[in-house]
Amino acid sequence: MQLDPLSIPYRAVESGLQVVIGIAIAGIAGAGSVGGAEGLAVFGVILVVGIGLSLGWQVAYFRRFEYRLTEDTFDIDSGVLSRREREIPYGRIQNVDIRQNVLQRALGIAEVRLETAGGGQTEARLRYVDLESARHVQEEVSRRKRREHGEHVGDESAATERGETLFELDGRELVILGIVSMDLRLLSLIAVPLSFVGPSVLSDFAPTATASLAIVALGLVGLVVASALVSGGLSMARYYGFVLTDRDEEYRYERGLLQRFSGSIPKDKVQTITLSENVLARRLGYASLSIETAGYAGTGQGTTGSQSAIPIAKRDHAIELAGRIEDFDALSFERPPRRARERYAVRYALVLAVLLAIAYGIVRLTPLSFPWYVLLGGVVLVPVAAHLKWRHRGYRLEDGHVITRNGFWSRRITIVPIYRIQTLVTSETVFQRRRDLATLVVDTAGTYSLVGDDAMAVDIDLGEANRLRQELAEDLQESIVEYRRQRGRDSFSAPNEGVADETSVGSPGG
Amino acid sequence: MDDEPADEREEASTDPPPDAPGDEEPPQRSLDADRSADDETRPTDPPSGADTPGDSEDAIEDDPGAYTTDVRTLDPRVRWLWVGRALVVALVLGGIATAATLALAPEWPWIGPAVFVLVAVLGAGHALLLYRSWSYEVREDSLLLDRGVITRVRTVVPYVRVQHIDTSRGPIERAAGLSSLVVYTAGSRGADVTIPGLRPWESTDLQTRLKALAIESEGEDAV
Repeated sequence: MQLDPLSIPYRAVESGLQVVIGIAIAGIAGAGSVGGAEGLAVFGVILVVGIGLSLGWQVAYFRRFEYRLTEDTFDIDSGVLSRREREIPYGRIQNVDIRQNVLQRALGIAEVRLETAGGGQTEARLRYVDLESARHVQEEVSRRKRREHGEHVGDESAATERGETLFELDGRELVILGIVSMDLRLLSLIAVPLSFVGPSVLSDFAPTATASLAIVALGLVGLVVASALVSGGLSMARYYGFVLTDRDEEYRYERGLLQRFSGSIPKDKVQTITLSENVLARRLGYASLSIETAGYAGTGQGTTGSQSAIPIAKRDHAIELAGRIEDFDALSFERPPRRARERYAVRYALVLAVLLAIAYGIVRLTPLSFPWYVLLGGVVLVPVAAHLKWRHRGYRLEDGHVITRNGFWSRRITIVPIYRIQTLVTSETVFQRRRDLATLVVDTAGTYSLVGDDAMAVDIDLGEANRLRQELAEDLQESIVEYRRQRGRDSFSAPNEGVADETSVGSPGG
Repeated sequence: MDDEPADEREEASTDPPPDAPGDEEPPQRSLDADRSADDETRPTDPPSGADTPGDSEDAIEDDPGAYTTDVRTLDPRVRWLWVGRALVVALVLGGIATAATLALAPEWPWIGPAVFVLVAVLGAGHALLLYRSWSYEVREDSLLLDRGVITRVRTVVPYVRVQHIDTSRGPIERAAGLSSLVVYTAGSRGADVTIPGLRPWESTDLQTRLKALAIESEGEDAV
């Protein structure tokens, strides 16, 4: 099967844009050296030739690109100058995503991405096929995967095809999502250029110091509001019309206002699930849920968004859904010992002291003058902050799961099935050693762990950490045996196939 | 992909029961004895390097216990490698500091050398302490690493999770007669599981042991 012919002009424009810019610069340079009408002609010729070449390349790419759904592999033959023939076994495919931006929707084409665990990037991309073929690929891959598992695959009965709707984002939740996901990090993006331009503009417009101060204050407030609105609006657009459905072997979701997105999460590839709730969401009683597989490469922003299982839901509902995905018992935690709290207090006090010293230094050494001692008021906040940080940490060990909780501003509860553990690490920094504390890291092959957001039990008692490490290592051995036995029974696959499935999740950055 | 697990299964099925006798002795060597041995004895040293599971005739070899080790430390000469590395860093930083002082504050010419000495002392101290902190142990079902000066880190790598095992020898390591072992898992910290400062025969021996244990850990499960 081939790509959609419309992909030729689309890709030509897409990849051509940078080329055209380059050509334009070259063209202008060429035109400049010749000058006049002749120069314009040279520029035109260069432009036309450039676009022609780009189009020609895309035609060649289109003609040399072919994909096939064979019995047990997904094959892609591609490449104009250097050919590549790639076969991906269905059993190794982690996720199949379909994405469409506005323009692509207008053209009726879509991009399909196949993710496997190996390698640092998306395993295969079909850019672009028509929407129907994209859906077909998604369906076929999951159907053949099921068959490979040895399951009885009946005719595509309507029930399995449509699946059971687990969650649907309604308008109210969408608004709450917008509020909750307001992100002030955008602020810094705007603030940096503004700090360069700001002063000179200000001196032009504001005659007096008080007026300029007022303008600055107003501007800051405006910026905060604007960035909150933009980030909130962005995530509302991203998750507009979110639907999560449960099909036998996988979860399927669809979302997006302008850029449509549809993805699949195979149930047997779930590595960890994470319940995250920031301060605002906690106040409102909402939480979001994400499922991690080993599929997505740990880089790029698309990853965090694309794995969300539930963008936002009532906390109870989110927990209930999490319970459907992973059968854990409860979410009551054991807190780190109290001496960990002292550690945080010391840490914050030190930070405060440094800030104070800097402020004092500025006042003493520069003509700037402001009441630096106001910062002393921060002393009141130190114990509060330390307590809050301590309060929101925790860990829990269950029969089949280990659960950790961290973070005050954005609290994350990570549920790790024990049979998904890859390595176990305990570490003690010098400061932790002083207080007999340690951090236990439960590493999985999930994506968040690749970017360093592992499940961690931070600042627990040293002895407890060592005990947990050993216990989890033993539990892992048992649960693997148990898990495989169960799988061997559930699906009629040969046991060694199950083994290969479990262990061959690939290594990152390979 | 079909052949490999089949191989493993076969291997597993030919295994004797794991409670075969005589599990402890053969491959376990006292490290201190190895330490005192220098280059001359190296060729005679790797008796345990030969116990690849493939050509094992003895029943003992297929028992996981046969592949385990006690807690071992690194080869002492890795200290000089690390100290040397620290010196290079110190030299570079000292050079930068010297250049900077010459350009900006020529009245303090001692800053450059002072930076060098400070970084060198700290780096060398760290290298020596790091060497003392390092130990590893090949256990029945997992590999345990323990190291770290400022932050002490203990890593458990269950053999079921091992994806592949490399031995690597960089040019400097080769010059020092050393080698390192890298164990990969699918987790993020895969690259962290590196045992540096091994003698070449020691690292191939470890590789063999870990390979055998990794295969075994799957074989036992594929019942």
